[in-house]
Amino acid sequence: MAKEASPGIQTTTPKPQTSHIPLFFKKLVQQRVLLLMSAPFLIWLFIFKYLPLWGWTIAFQDFKPAKSFSDQKWVGFEHFKMLFQDEKFIQVLRNTLAMSTINLVLGFVTAIVLALLLNELRFVLFKRLVQTVSYLPHFISWVVAANIIATALSPDNGIVNELLMWLGVIKEPILFLGIPEYFWGINGLSEVWKNVGWNTIVYLAAMTMIDPAQYEAAEIDGAGRIQRIWHITLPGIKPVIIVLLIMNIGYLLESGFEPQYLLGNGMNVDYSENLDIFVLKYGIAMGNFSLSVAAGMFKTVISFILLFAANYTAKRMGESRLF
Amino acid sequence: MIKKKRLLLTAMIVAMTAVTACSNNSGTNNNTEAGTNSGGNGNQAATTTEQSKVQEKVTFSVFNAAGAAKDINSNETTIGKLLEEQTGVNFKMEHLVGDINTKIGTMIASNDYPDLLIPDAAIDKVIDAGAFIPLNDLIDKFGPNIKRVYGPYMNQMKAADGNIYFIPFSNVVGEYIPSPSIDQGAFWVQRRVLKEAGYPKIKTLDEYFDMVKNYVEKHKDENLTGFISLTHDWRFFATSNPPMHLAGFPNDGNVTIDMSTFDAKVYADKDSTKKWLQKLNDVNAQGLFDKSSFVDNYDQYLAKLTSGKVVGFFDYGWQVGNATNALKDAGNDDLRYFPLPVTFDANTKDQYLDPPGFTSNRGIGITVSAKDPERIMQFLDNLLTDENQILSNWGIKGETYEVDENGRFYRTEEQIAKIDESFRETFGFKYFEWNWPKYGNGSSLPDGNSVAPGRQAEVFQMSLTEGDKTILEKYGAKTYADLFAAPDDRPWFPAWSFSKEQGSDAQIWETKKDELTKKYFPKLVLAKPEEFESMWTEYLDQFSKLDTAAYEKWTTDEVKKRIELAQTK
Amino acid sequence: MANIMTSNTASTEGKKRRLRGGGRYGSLGDRVFDTCNIIFMLLLMVVTLYPFVNTLAVSLNNATDSIRGGIYLWPREFTLQNYSYVFNEATILGATFISIMRTVIGTIVTVFCSAMVAYTISRPDFVLRKFITIAFILTMYFNGGLIPNFLLIRDLGMINSFWVYIIPGIIGVFNLIIIRSFIEGLPESILESARIDGAGDFTTFAKIVLPLSLPVLATVALFTAVWQWNSWFDVFLYNSSEIKLSTLQYELQKILQNSNASMSAKSAGDAFANADNANANMVTPFSIRATMTIVASVPIILVYPFLQKYFVKGMTVGGVKG
Repeated sequence: MAKEASPGIQTTTPKPQTSHIPLFFKKLVQQRVLLLMSAPFLIWLFIFKYLPLWGWTIAFQDFKPAKSFSDQKWVGFEHFKMLFQDEKFIQVLRNTLAMSTINLVLGFVTAIVLALLLNELRFVLFKRLVQTVSYLPHFISWVVAANIIATALSPDNGIVNELLMWLGVIKEPILFLGIPEYFWGINGLSEVWKNVGWNTIVYLAAMTMIDPAQYEAAEIDGAGRIQRIWHITLPGIKPVIIVLLIMNIGYLLESGFEPQYLLGNGMNVDYSENLDIFVLKYGIAMGNFSLSVAAGMFKTVISFILLFAANYTAKRMGESRLF
Repeated sequence: MIKKKRLLLTAMIVAMTAVTACSNNSGTNNNTEAGTNSGGNGNQAATTTEQSKVQEKVTFSVFNAAGAAKDINSNETTIGKLLEEQTGVNFKMEHLVGDINTKIGTMIASNDYPDLLIPDAAIDKVIDAGAFIPLNDLIDKFGPNIKRVYGPYMNQMKAADGNIYFIPFSNVVGEYIPSPSIDQGAFWVQRRVLKEAGYPKIKTLDEYFDMVKNYVEKHKDENLTGFISLTHDWRFFATSNPPMHLAGFPNDGNVTIDMSTFDAKVYADKDSTKKWLQKLNDVNAQGLFDKSSFVDNYDQYLAKLTSGKVVGFFDYGWQVGNATNALKDAGNDDLRYFPLPVTFDANTKDQYLDPPGFTSNRGIGITVSAKDPERIMQFLDNLLTDENQILSNWGIKGETYEVDENGRFYRTEEQIAKIDESFRETFGFKYFEWNWPKYGNGSSLPDGNSVAPGRQAEVFQMSLTEGDKTILEKYGAKTYADLFAAPDDRPWFPAWSFSKEQGSDAQIWETKKDELTKKYFPKLVLAKPEEFESMWTEYLDQFSKLDTAAYEKWTTDEVKKRIELAQTK
Repeated sequence: MANIMTSNTASTEGKKRRLRGGGRYGSLGDRVFDTCNIIFMLLLMVVTLYPFVNTLAVSLNNATDSIRGGIYLWPREFTLQNYSYVFNEATILGATFISIMRTVIGTIVTVFCSAMVAYTISRPDFVLRKFITIAFILTMYFNGGLIPNFLLIRDLGMINSFWVYIIPGIIGVFNLIIIRSFIEGLPESILESARIDGAGDFTTFAKIVLPLSLPVLATVALFTAVWQWNSWFDVFLYNSSEIKLSTLQYELQKILQNSNASMSAKSAGDAFANADNANANMVTPFSIRATMTIVASVPIILVYPFLQKYFVKGMTVGGVKG
């Protein structure tokens, strides 16, 4: 196949004046191996991800699963109206954005810092141990984790209250989950506790790609630990950080569902109820598929806007970008 | 194609013979003596072998969204095997694991169903989708027992188009036997409290809380909690339902229904609720109420009940079974709870016990995918013979129950000990006790025996500990139910089971009402007593935004419809 | 698993440093840093180990007793009842086998395919590069919904088949992007020299890129394996009536639901008589959930050593590349 490809390479150069389309196909022929390597997956992508998008029409119907497509009742933007006009929509949106932003910032900072600190540990066995232990909570389901969190925060001998009382920070136990304003913080810290170890994995993998020679050079230059972290390790994993950051900014309307649902209650509902819970209550729980799809479409639109904006910003700043 | 037709033909012939055989059986077995021989005595075994020559064995699929159990073939259980011998029908049983709406939704969307479907809460969607076939003709042809058992309810089983699409479970056959233990609502209090107070008759809410208060104050050093309330997630009704019971109504959900006008009234914004919350507010101000009640999840709640530190609570018996079992296990009778039928004032007759109801929105139906509806119908009908009801509830004589000289059924200590969870599975109690056509809860046999062993006085008495007997004796009762007033007849009961269309106004009202009460009840209870009034006004203000009148009207209409159906036999 | 990989990386680095004598490590600032770091790590371990230890303790404690709460680090009334309840289920063994199969096959297929696509979109001159990248990335943010996906799988004939575990998840976009970022980080000189040697794109990918990317492939393999191992929703949707294709997670869900149901049946009126004696072998959702967590997570946590040797290989090649 190399034989066939080689004449192609030669012919491209002398024809600078051809229009874009033939040039494009010519290049494509040249790159047919790359095409062969990716085309089957493009087809896969189309079938499994794009084809089901016909389901978005459900958002404009009073969808009944039993009816055929042509028998559905079309209602236009009715479900979107219901979503946007509900008096709780703004509050729910606020909670969603607040919690996902907190999760994003806290999640990134803690995972990166932990990865950097782990990288500085010198006893290999100890380092392995810490890594393994730190990602254990990831394997515990939210139901179990929420139980542990609720017990820890309980005013009846909950460890957090006991600790704070022992330290003299507070005099009386606090009903943590009963104070609405605390909820975002509790939710953010719970996420960190559960996933920080797991989230370091990708950064630690990125660190393996850093050329050890750089550290040697830095050492010769007399750079200290902090300086090495700042000038070598961090820049080394920056591309990965940026790419992950852009992807996650696209997810800003996904603030999670389980912790809010499991730790939320009537007292903190004004701060704990997010978009997903709202959709669960008025969509899925009522068998209203249409409302859930409408909410999903809304999220997609916002995600695209955020995603392209973030990617554009990264591009302008000269950073690595997603696409 | 031809082969298929021939198969159908043989099946039909087989079916005919089976029917005659079965009805013969039930004919001969209809006296009590024979009722106990479902274990397969010589007579019956002979019929079965005779049948199996002609009757091809078939396997149908059934999906059960209501109860969780192992997925098995019914003929792998003792009961299922006997039923297969009688009918040649085996069921491949699958049970729901995840979300019901998702699973049923995919079935509907692909129009691919098991032969038999128990759709539980999704039943409206299934009927709406036209997934169930009308059973009227099948019942006429193959359902003599179904007609006998469901006779009085046939009208209530019909959909608006006059068709019967599924067979419900909750019809009472024979004389009604109420549950001897309190699985429904009650105000519970630790037995030591009653003991110390000299077993007083507690009738009103004030008396109840005074007693709790006295006890807690006398035992200051024990760090007791006076009262807790369950509020977690959908279980919030344990906190919002008491006003209804305190006013002398059974659990109709969001409404109380007047016994003379049959008007449904929402009580969440009425005086009864205000009185209840004000009492809790008061109790909280006295330091008797556990503030964490509004934050604790179900597990934390059960843990507190089991700790022995909580003096009293309101809840439904079935919801605290884990805790009460654990306390019983621990063996300290003082810390166990005793149910009390508390009302607002002494003149109100309590109505905590469920009246015999007919839950018309749960059942089992034959789907459009069913290969052989006639044979399935015969199987269902065959379940409803007295002897098969005995088989699926009591089991086999000499193995899982005995009969004394008066013809009363009972179980020995060893039998009771033997019937544990895994036995219930292998024997098949677990599969045929629920969700199949059956004599509903509280039914009795012609000879007076209870269909359900749990309601048989002999069995219940054996389950009582010495402590149970002592305290019941102090109150002059034989069963816990004796402490409560007998339920009045309410043909619509329970109103909470009225099916609502998906996304209907009634359904949205309920969701909004839940949101509102969940948010405001904690504020009202935990408010400073002087701020209660203004908080209540704020709550009413929010509540008035809901179209409660429409909800009441909808419920009233449903109630009246049901009364009418119950009257036209 | 990733920790092995990184610790190995670190260990090679560490060795190098130690060989060099590491004069700087003796300085006061360094020692303070190390001490603080170690103390911090110890605290972190306490906080992150606790949930697991607590869950283990609950799973080993008598279920009835656990209702009382207050189980922290060790069981109060030790019993193996919860485990025997779970393992009593005849289907567990077969389901575990299917879980292993889907994890192994799914991970290999996904990692290979994702890497291949990642390679193509890492080639700066590939004309479809941007198109493919965006086409994939966009799918992270939308979803046709439950019903259309279900109908698609049905129309493809993948209901009640093993392949429904593998094919719909052939490529994880997140993984794809991560791998791409790494490949882009590889020194262009290596790829260039391969090309000069006359290697085609596939050869370059298979012979050069794959081995060089082992650390990231191992990371992605870990992510995929955990995801495959933990999934049960696809079993629920597509294969629930085919017991032979059931997975461990799904069977555990069943057992949990079962324990839930048996509890409410026990407490409900008519089964009350049975409830009393059934106390002896009572299970509760609370205890079963804890037991499930241990049963389901220990195997996947143990996968780690098996990924380890690939990390080591990855590093030797990676070391050469520098």
